[in-house]
Amino acid sequence: MIGLRGITKSYGKTTALDGLELDVRKGEFFCLLGPSGAGKTTTHKTVAGLERPDSGTVLLDGEDMAGVEPYDRGVAMCFESYALYPHRSAYDNLVSPLRSPRHRLPAAEARDRVGAIAELLGIGGLLERQVGQLSNGQRQRVALGRVLVRPARAFLLDEPLSHLDAKLRQQMRAELKAIGAVRRTTTLYVTHDSVEALALGDRIGVIRDGRIVQTGTREEIWYRPHDTEVARAFGRPRINLLPGTVAEDGSFRSADGKVELPLAARARPGTDVLVGVRPRDVALKGAGGHELTGTVYVTEVLGRSVEVTVRLGGQHLSLVAPRGDTAGLRPDDPVRLTVRPENLLLFEADRPGRPGRLIGTR
Amino acid sequence: MTLRKRLSGWLADAALILYFVFALFPIAWMVILSLKSANQLFSTYFSFTPTLGAYRTVLGDSEGIPFVRFFVNSLVVSVGAVLLSLAVGLPAAYASARWRFKGSENLMFTLLSFRFAPELTVIIPLFVLYQKLGLFDTYVGMIWVLQLVTLPLIVWIMRSYFADLTPELEQAALLDGYTRKQAFFKVALPLVKPGVAAVSLLAFIFAWNNFVFPLILTSSEAQTVTVGALSFLGGDRPRYNLTAAAALVSVVPPLLLALTIQRYLVRGLSFGAVKS
Repeated sequence: MIGLRGITKSYGKTTALDGLELDVRKGEFFCLLGPSGAGKTTTHKTVAGLERPDSGTVLLDGEDMAGVEPYDRGVAMCFESYALYPHRSAYDNLVSPLRSPRHRLPAAEARDRVGAIAELLGIGGLLERQVGQLSNGQRQRVALGRVLVRPARAFLLDEPLSHLDAKLRQQMRAELKAIGAVRRTTTLYVTHDSVEALALGDRIGVIRDGRIVQTGTREEIWYRPHDTEVARAFGRPRINLLPGTVAEDGSFRSADGKVELPLAARARPGTDVLVGVRPRDVALKGAGGHELTGTVYVTEVLGRSVEVTVRLGGQHLSLVAPRGDTAGLRPDDPVRLTVRPENLLLFEADRPGRPGRLIGTR
Repeated sequence: MTLRKRLSGWLADAALILYFVFALFPIAWMVILSLKSANQLFSTYFSFTPTLGAYRTVLGDSEGIPFVRFFVNSLVVSVGAVLLSLAVGLPAAYASARWRFKGSENLMFTLLSFRFAPELTVIIPLFVLYQKLGLFDTYVGMIWVLQLVTLPLIVWIMRSYFADLTPELEQAALLDGYTRKQAFFKVALPLVKPGVAAVSLLAFIFAWNNFVFPLILTSSEAQTVTVGALSFLGGDRPRYNLTAAAALVSVVPPLLLALTIQRYLVRGLSFGAVKS
């Protein structure tokens, strides 16, 4: 539905997009995740026709969009900066697409439509306010509403929940995908929040330095991250990455020799590697799996579970365990951990400017 | 300490008062002149019998000099020049603020250079041209030549107003389904209204006060107040009271305009447009 082929865009000497390839399927909710400056907004604006790529092709429904004006592309966009018309009321902002020559509705119908969307977003009582009298969170919802009131080939949402307070954000995150218009419409959603991406995305694309590093479902991204940086981006507490080398027998040996792990993946002996294991995949009192011994470094209560950081020789490994299992643990207490070999991810060692790639898993 | 503070306060006040006297005295002197009768003009300073005779003469066209006509000419020519400059200059300012195209910077600089070239450098060729083209002493000719004064001002000031406006507002309008022209008229233009008011006022004042162009390029039909007021100085004896009255009358329109437009000048530009 949305296709980007080899898009390049630079502003002076900075390259915003560097041969970007992206495919969003019809009706899909696609999350583009990346740090600020990775090219997320430029990607949006390129799809919308607000930025002309230096090279490459933008496709909508298989049609080449070169030379097609933004108002003829039929996509709706929610700007990160809101871009509300400051001289108009919230209502006039919301109804603006429905008064335009391309999406015009009779006034009464438009009023109903705006009213319904405003109720949905919880801004029904604010419609007469001027934009200047709205809080940032309210403005953000008006901006989102201006996108949802109209039919569109695709919605482009640029961090549309970032300025809501925590409670409202969580609620909207849950409700957003249930909104009929969103369910029916192809959506390209940009965020820097991996939790949001995992919660919302039918598929997720990870963007870095103007390129898509990896595209996949949340399971694919979670279990087969393309490299250490993608692995680090998802999951809190962060994935443990232990540096070491591959021994002659194909197992992993940490740099100080204190940790040895069996590896399911094959790698040439002597290779510098990083072994990744997510904190929730390490058990304190688990049965089965490979055993490691260490001492408690620090514990932190996360709620019902506890994050325990364990010292294994020269390195630290964090794990998340149910509260009951950690009762009475004090710093420097010896502990036994178990790790299932199939939960280990093997990466090449990081090099400057190039995070280590995934070598293999189970 | 307090004494020294108070003393410096007095000194500052005294300096301010001195400055006010210095700045306002010429205006006060003009008012005094305009209220004198012809025979008291050279024989008195401050004690005289005030009379509105000079104003009556100036506005009544009794001495063969059609001052009211000059006044109307000034209005037509200045308003016309500002309107034409707005019609041409606002789109030009918008385009140059939003898009870089080949030669756009050179074009803008050329426009600005109209302002720093003294008018006298071009006045002779203009005079010849105007004679040949039949523009001499016409409204069209005056409005045209005043573009040299008003257009660069409007384009350059409005350009920075448009540049301060985030392009995302117009982009939002494009995605709402509006054309670029509609985005300009419905979104960009309303947001720079305070700027348009301010720059129109300035341009009007500059056009109104212009002296050299009407001096050389008009004779009677399209002559303006700046040149017209001087006609009272000609003849066998200079009539300073009439000149003063004429000058004071011609201050009225810019003053009124400034007062009415004032509240637009201070309004915020794009409050609440984008998150802070």
